[in-house]
Amino acid sequence: MNHIQEKGDDVIITIDGVSKTFDGGIEAVKDFTARIRRQQVVVIMGPSGSGKSTLLRCLNGLEEADSGTIVVDGIPLDDDKKHRLEIRQEVGMVFQSFNLFPHLTVLQNVNLAQMRVRKKSKAEATAKSIELLNMVGIADKVDSYPAQLSGGQQQRVAIARALAMMPKVMLFDEPTSALDPEMINEVLDVMKDLARSGMTMVVVTHEMGFAREVSDWVIFMDEGRIVETGAPQQIFEHPGQERTRRFLSQIL
Amino acid sequence: MIQFALLVAVIGWLVSLSTSTLGYNWQWYRIPRYLFRVQGGRLVAGKLIEGLLFTFRIAGVSLLLALSIGLGTALLRLSDSFMGRLLTRLYLEVIRNTPLVVQIYLIYFVIGPILGLGRFGSAVMALSLFEGSYMSEIFRAGIVSLHRGQWEAAHSLGLSTVDTYRDVILPQAIRRILPPLTGELISLIKNTSLVSLVSLNDLALQARVIAADTFMTFEVWFATALIYLAITAPLSVAVYALEKRLRVLT
Repeated sequence: MNHIQEKGDDVIITIDGVSKTFDGGIEAVKDFTARIRRQQVVVIMGPSGSGKSTLLRCLNGLEEADSGTIVVDGIPLDDDKKHRLEIRQEVGMVFQSFNLFPHLTVLQNVNLAQMRVRKKSKAEATAKSIELLNMVGIADKVDSYPAQLSGGQQQRVAIARALAMMPKVMLFDEPTSALDPEMINEVLDVMKDLARSGMTMVVVTHEMGFAREVSDWVIFMDEGRIVETGAPQQIFEHPGQERTRRFLSQIL
Repeated sequence: MIQFALLVAVIGWLVSLSTSTLGYNWQWYRIPRYLFRVQGGRLVAGKLIEGLLFTFRIAGVSLLLALSIGLGTALLRLSDSFMGRLLTRLYLEVIRNTPLVVQIYLIYFVIGPILGLGRFGSAVMALSLFEGSYMSEIFRAGIVSLHRGQWEAAHSLGLSTVDTYRDVILPQAIRRILPPLTGELISLIKNTSLVSLVSLNDLALQARVIAADTFMTFEVWFATALIYLAITAPLSVAVYALEKRLRVLT
């Protein structure tokens, strides 16, 4: 895995002292600090309720952090709505529940943001969409509606939809957790290809195989804090913390 | 079908019972002239149909306005603007907690003259403000019933709030609210009958005038009810068909 060292070391996401408390007093994320570099694939793991999804959602402003700073590709995520919109245009996101637009066809789902946000013509957008749908292996379903697709197919469309914005970073929020076991691999394969193509990715997942194979860096979280971080081999084979060991023994 | 026929028979029997005790003299043959007349070899609308056309006009204009007011109010209520939420809340409480008749009079006698609205303008304003308040709640319910993930997906793609509403939220919400919205359209058509209170020549006023002129109270009001029914019933059917066609699998 020589390419890891060769990957650029310039930081694309800076997270400094981010905390998030929900109404009702649940502290989801506590004083979280990390740097994510270009072309890095970062996997965030941890038990449910450890704040990993909340942290991920803070990165594109779907959740607003109470304190701390987040800077994405030089743009600070602050009260300025323009900044938030700019960041969202650079950061793609894939959700656990796919969240495709059910009233639009597959092609329209992938075209929409290209036309509205990037102001592309329909022909330009369609060309790009077809290319991406080919890449994720859904090219024969362009005119289907989301409900006519399997979960794995829907998730691959969702990935194509996010990629259509040509994002610099992709966030994945438990992308395979809602899938039947036999569909998990078709989505993971697409994600692996994407990782190998040099996309910067932050992935919340329990898929150990994926983390081992393509991630550069694993962050293990519990109760809103980083328990430990490191290369996947190190975390999985020689976890430094008892909490990590316990969690890994449960999901293996 | 048999039940329906039975029902009609029972109602018919009750009506004939009540009219026979009253010694009512049925004169149905005099009704058609109020629907259509032949004048100079051409068929022209009678008084009732004239009234109906006017009802259509006032309902049509009011519907467009009520839809705009309803949607605007719903969006403001869901917005981040404190003033917007306060004002729309105030509007809803005032309108929904006072009778439409009172609103029609108030707007006709007080607000209309200030704004320079005529009879028609005042009536339209009263109807659309009234129906708009109910429609806004329907719009709001349709919008908030959508899964939060739809908003999040749209936002994560960098779509603005306006684009998200236009391309993602409203197309789905409208499919969901078509049935209750039609209910409001039907109630709007029925409520236009109240504008006869400010002497607008709608179907209800024409019926009242004819009934007073001819003493054919039963025939005129039965005919009028049938005309309203002939308009609103197909509407229900049409929207049901539309609803089926637009249904989205989720």
